[in-house]
Amino acid sequence: MLPAGCSRRLVAELRDALDACAERQRRLERSLRACRRLLRPWEAAELPAAEPTPAPETQEEAPSPACTPSPQDLKELELLTQTLEKAVRVRKSVSKAAERHKALSLKSGSTAASAPSRVSGQAGRRASETKPLRCIHQTGVPAEGLPECRLLSAGDRTCKGKGARATKPGPGLRDQLPLAAPPAPEVFTLKEKGVLLKLPTAYRKAASQNSRLWTQLSSTQTSDSVDAATNAKTQFLQKMKMASGWPGSGLSAAEVEAEVGLLWKACSLLRQRMEEELLADCADWVQEYHCLLTLEGLQAITGQCLHRLQELRAEMVGQQLGPWPEERCPRASGSCEGRTDPTWSSQLLLYSSTAELQTLAALRLRVAMLEQQIHLEKVLMAELLPLVSTPEAQGPPPLALCRAVHSLLCEGGERFLTILRDEPAS
Amino acid sequence: MGRRRRAEQERAGAAGALPDAIAALSRTLPAGPSPETFRRAKFDRPEAAPPLWRMLFLALSPLPGDCAPAPRAPPAPPALGKPRPPRAPPTASPAPAGSRAPQPWPCPLAAGASGSCGPAPEAQVRLVKRALRSQGYPRRALAQLPEDGARGSRELLLALAWLLARGPLLERLLGRTRVRLGDEVALCQGEAPASPGPPAACGGADGPVDIRHLQWLMGKLRLQWRNLMTSQQEQCALLGKIHSYTRGCHSDRSLGHLSVAETEMLRDPEGGRQLLRRLESENARLEAALAWRRRELVFWQWMDTVLGACPLEAAQPPFLPRIPESGADQLEMVAQQLQALHEELQGAVEPRRAAWEARVGGSGSEWSALQRATQEAVGQELAALRRAWEEGGAPAQPHGPCRLVKSDARASGGPGLRAAEVIGALRSREACLEAVLRQLQSQCRQELAQLAAALPGLIWILPPGH
Repeated sequence: MLPAGCSRRLVAELRDALDACAERQRRLERSLRACRRLLRPWEAAELPAAEPTPAPETQEEAPSPACTPSPQDLKELELLTQTLEKAVRVRKSVSKAAERHKALSLKSGSTAASAPSRVSGQAGRRASETKPLRCIHQTGVPAEGLPECRLLSAGDRTCKGKGARATKPGPGLRDQLPLAAPPAPEVFTLKEKGVLLKLPTAYRKAASQNSRLWTQLSSTQTSDSVDAATNAKTQFLQKMKMASGWPGSGLSAAEVEAEVGLLWKACSLLRQRMEEELLADCADWVQEYHCLLTLEGLQAITGQCLHRLQELRAEMVGQQLGPWPEERCPRASGSCEGRTDPTWSSQLLLYSSTAELQTLAALRLRVAMLEQQIHLEKVLMAELLPLVSTPEAQGPPPLALCRAVHSLLCEGGERFLTILRDEPAS
Repeated sequence: MGRRRRAEQERAGAAGALPDAIAALSRTLPAGPSPETFRRAKFDRPEAAPPLWRMLFLALSPLPGDCAPAPRAPPAPPALGKPRPPRAPPTASPAPAGSRAPQPWPCPLAAGASGSCGPAPEAQVRLVKRALRSQGYPRRALAQLPEDGARGSRELLLALAWLLARGPLLERLLGRTRVRLGDEVALCQGEAPASPGPPAACGGADGPVDIRHLQWLMGKLRLQWRNLMTSQQEQCALLGKIHSYTRGCHSDRSLGHLSVAETEMLRDPEGGRQLLRRLESENARLEAALAWRRRELVFWQWMDTVLGACPLEAAQPPFLPRIPESGADQLEMVAQQLQALHEELQGAVEPRRAAWEARVGGSGSEWSALQRATQEAVGQELAALRRAWEEGGAPAQPHGPCRLVKSDARASGGPGLRAAEVIGALRSREACLEAVLRQLQSQCRQELAQLAAALPGLIWILPPGH
């Protein structure tokens, strides 16, 4: 059995690590649920009941969101519906070439300044019949406040017949049914109709304003007022220091920890370099000299690091126990915030294929896992090595303990060594 | 021209500038106290203290302060996650921001301005004091304030100003609770591992444990990571699908497709409205922050008067913050490692130097030129090595969350990071970390081998692979 204090600390560390992992898992699962929900057919049951259903589409087929049924909206939608009906009727009765002609004239007749280029860009693979309907939809929505609903026009359905993909909804899809007669109820699937989605205007405005404000906030402009403010701040900090009799060179706990972290890094990099040099074969005298100088340089740097450590230690030792609370401090600042210039605005990360994204995510997780493992390794080393290496008063440490410690420290708990007693035959 | 106009405005409206500045500050801060509270705090009025304690608590606690109250009451500490509001739009992050590793504090669940659920005022006061102290707050008067949070508003005002002066506090707080519209990946390098929490406050064992319990916990951890990796892969596949299916839908050309949050908004209008509200309130706070920036000079002038109004602290022996125990341990460990390294280097250098001196002896002119060249080269290499740890690795490393955008491989124009580059950076970081881990493990092996040598009569058979 391990001593109580050691047990407590180690179990606490491992439980922290487990909780960190569990938190990641929880977040991941939440997001997985959301993704799966989006990829399933979007059920009508989830849609708000009070739908201003345009006549051509039944309630099930028109999962248009939150067109809050105010009377004005209803009127406008009715107008829209009538226009749509007319358009479909027109299309049905004329040939395809004539349809296009009509569509163009409809488009040119539209008053709203909707960019047809945008429509054509989004139309993509779809047949051109959707274009006029799209324009109509846009012209028919006059009020800014009305969030633009997703377009699920019957015209789209009729076009689906051209799509090469297998369509999920029923055969009603392929028929050129008039809008007035509602076809079989269909559901919305992201796979087939995802490209038709459009974000509401209010959201678009808010989002673009949001990104603009963030850019403004993160840009560091230099102007007179900014410089003056910076000076004022520095002066204020000085005054605070002087008003409290601060010696001036004291480091905060956070800073000491940060420096210790850097020294850890330094130590591992220096060691790595040393091992490289020791392994390298020196072919001629020049290389030998190079190797020698490198090793001497490494030695000098190590000495400097040790010196810095002693300075830090002296700072710690020369303290008084003040009236501050004794417990450990939380890591209040996040990991990235101590760095210079954290960027507040999101950058874009472009990936080209799912495989690439998976590689990236897997590597990201692996790096996080390694960091956690290294931290645990350091903690375990600090606690367990003293237990097995100091000469025990009651003889050598129990073998089971040695074996377990070896496994935990040297193999990450994955493999075990075997200890055999080599007893002389007697 | 804008600058001149603003400067004129500031000069002319100096009388009104201070209230404006304070109002802007109050709008930006989470649970920002009213401007009246600020004014009262200058005169150290007791009623101004509780809102200031609460505001500092939210600003300094590791969790984002404005999580909405979860449906269930805050449980005892074992549940160390962040309960999210049930209807918040999910932000899919393939690699959830590790910097938000769950903090071992019970979630405050403080609901912003309205009400004050969450930990008791005493706990808030203690946390604020601790956090300020660990950041190096110089004034001792803060430590002497009573824990019931009934007094000390002027000192708290000074503490707030100190935090504002030292760093980008407002930007950091805003960034912490930023509304994520896209599918984000956190690329924070060098994340802090789960910080050592309150000693054995939660999750610690009560008494001595068998080492097998530790082995079991390690095994459980390994299994959890494996599960995490598989879930992660699945999520990436789903994200890829959603991004392709919504190609061309986004109004912003550079993005091109919708994110999960945006698609969810279209599917669920109620959630969409909530998202919109959050976005709008964040915009309001951002505008307040920008307004604050324009006017903060008068605030600093005012703070000087506040500081002047404080009684001088009696001259006492210099007082330094106490480094927490864990820091001391880490320091000792690093010292040991560096010392061991130093000795090894010494052992390697001395014979080589002796051998070199013996060989070269009197150096000719061509030798000295060669020597100088080598010295320079080595000097540069070592300087680069130094930079590697002092500057935290490669410069311009991507920080913070990045929004995922699926796009066909394009020429190197346009903003944004390319996944291939990030993958390369991650691979090198992985290699570096693996080397560190291997090195630590081999050190342990050496130590245990020494132990094994000291125990006679045993054969130690190492597991395969060595």
